[in-house]
Amino acid sequence: MKPALLTVLVSSLALAAPRPARDTADVGKQWDYSVGIFNPLRLAIVDGVELEANPLVFFVAPNVNSRFRILGGPVRLTAEAGLSLPTLAMRLMKGFFFPSWETSTNDVGWMLVPRVGALVSGTVLEHSVWTARADAAFRVPLGRNSAAPLNSFLAPLDLLLAAPLTGFCTRVGGAYDQALGETFRLRGEANLFVTGPQGNLTVNGASVGPIAPLSQLIVTAHLGLDIAVFKQSRLTVGVLWANYDQGQSAVVKGADGFSDRVRVRSNNFLPTLDFIWAGY
Amino acid sequence: MRLRPVVLALAATLTACEWIADPMKYTREDVPRFKAKAEHPAPPENPAALKVMAWNVKYGACRVDFWFDFWGDRTQLSTTEVEDCLSKIAALVREYDPDVLITEEIEVGSKRSAYVDMVRYLLENTNLRYAMYAATWESRYVPSEGVGRINLGNAIHSRYPITKAERIRQADRTDQDVLTATFYLHRGIARAEVDIGNGRTVAIYGVHTEAYDQDGTKQKQIVQLHELAQAETLPWLMGGDFNELPPVCDERADAGTPESCAGKLRLTEFLDERASSKGTEFAQPPYTPSVMKRFYDDFNPSITLARYGVGEAAQQRYFTHSVLGPDSKNDEMVPGNWNRTLDYLFIRRSDGWRDTDVIQGPGPFGVTQDAIRLSDHAPVVGTWELR
Repeated sequence: MKPALLTVLVSSLALAAPRPARDTADVGKQWDYSVGIFNPLRLAIVDGVELEANPLVFFVAPNVNSRFRILGGPVRLTAEAGLSLPTLAMRLMKGFFFPSWETSTNDVGWMLVPRVGALVSGTVLEHSVWTARADAAFRVPLGRNSAAPLNSFLAPLDLLLAAPLTGFCTRVGGAYDQALGETFRLRGEANLFVTGPQGNLTVNGASVGPIAPLSQLIVTAHLGLDIAVFKQSRLTVGVLWANYDQGQSAVVKGADGFSDRVRVRSNNFLPTLDFIWAGY
Repeated sequence: MRLRPVVLALAATLTACEWIADPMKYTREDVPRFKAKAEHPAPPENPAALKVMAWNVKYGACRVDFWFDFWGDRTQLSTTEVEDCLSKIAALVREYDPDVLITEEIEVGSKRSAYVDMVRYLLENTNLRYAMYAATWESRYVPSEGVGRINLGNAIHSRYPITKAERIRQADRTDQDVLTATFYLHRGIARAEVDIGNGRTVAIYGVHTEAYDQDGTKQKQIVQLHELAQAETLPWLMGGDFNELPPVCDERADAGTPESCAGKLRLTEFLDERASSKGTEFAQPPYTPSVMKRFYDDFNPSITLARYGVGEAAQQRYFTHSVLGPDSKNDEMVPGNWNRTLDYLFIRRSDGWRDTDVIQGPGPFGVTQDAIRLSDHAPVVGTWELR
């Protein structure tokens, strides 16, 4: 059933040109838009200026990001600036990712998370694009906060909450997006993140000492395939690899038959999937 | 704010390299042995007796109240809290200076206990030179209350070489939904063979049975322990947290009958049970001390029932557990204190005991550390005379 549906979708294409590369420095013309289930809603309000927000979490974590074309031409430069207020969403995660704090006054504190970034993209051949990017997000506390870093195994979630929970999250990364005919695009991306330290554990407003330190370095790579469907939309599938310190240890046996426990970095592989609807 | 196009629901099944929650599908298997790197004094050669201790060390939290205690809501500790607590636990162990130490609720890489390898910590900070560890709960992320990564189990430390280390699986609970059961403990028994010289080997069992089941799992686990001890061919010691009261009486007996527990043994309404815990998954299930009778009938307990006595006034000297610490008060403003016995040491009938006790606080055996501030369980100790 699924292959048949895919065949119908792909065969209904208006195959004039490949879909444009995603997540590049390219900023659309006025009223260009795209939105995915997980990918943000992006709308060009004027030529060269886009606003984006993630609708999936918008009402519990208001967020907006703006993109400004600084430089056009073969090599494009775009600046980004954004702001989010993640507190309510984090409070909804209490009981699962954060303590419920039933007997104390601890809670996830109010905070703002501003973000700035820059992207540079260039076109290779006719439809393939390389992109380099750097960005940083910071926590601006607006009150007392007891929430500690998640240190989970879900890299996207840990990265999403890195700035709110560790104080900052910076990234440098690069991507290459290759058109494969008019239907497919293959995209590879690698990122290096540096988060803030684990910080102190705060109980009822007072520190009870440092949280166990973990490496602040997170490495990710993503390989994805975009499949053009309908006139301007696409289905994206891929796999994300993340390598970072999750407190994992491994037992190493010595020649004398006795073992030692050593800390190791964890590797996670996560499937990625989205449907992105676009108009331009 | 950006979200990667990740289907989180699929993540749990497709992540690689490490179990999200180790189902512990084994019946009986070897586990690693560890050796101290620090130089410790050699133990006496060819000993006629071994000083032993069993202690539930509450993952190095001392008296920090966690959420499932209902007196607090903590889910993790700072490094300084863990190091401070472990240093005191190690100090008490050094003061008593056992030849064999059995620990339960010891952790080797849990988020809540600052990822400290407590087995290694005790190896390097006591006179114990060898250790083994049997994990009973190993998950890379326990979602409840953000507990996160956990690796908890039973350990056995020894001054004499551990020549074989294994863990033996116990029955799982059957009264939990699939999701809860997946991320829950899978109880197991630590077993170590210790070479005490001159061709003599002894078997040590570290045990910790279920605490919260409503389906008879704990009783099954206790019966399994008894069967294992009966089948053991080496001189053996079994110690740990049985989560059960001594069989002073039979909880099934009608009031007024000689076996009735009325006036002999408190079965419910302990001073550290918070009303808000009732009806939750952490409510104290009814105790069934009768299941422990087989141990007293067939083996040699460190504290006999005659010594334990009848009624709280006599028994409190041997209480080993209190959820509530002495610096906290219950809803009736009564400070916490040891209020029941859950921890035991047993050996085979043909061996003997001397100098057995429960170290409830400073005093006995020259101990200066205050055990009631170091864990929610007290160490049970004795000298095991090998015959």
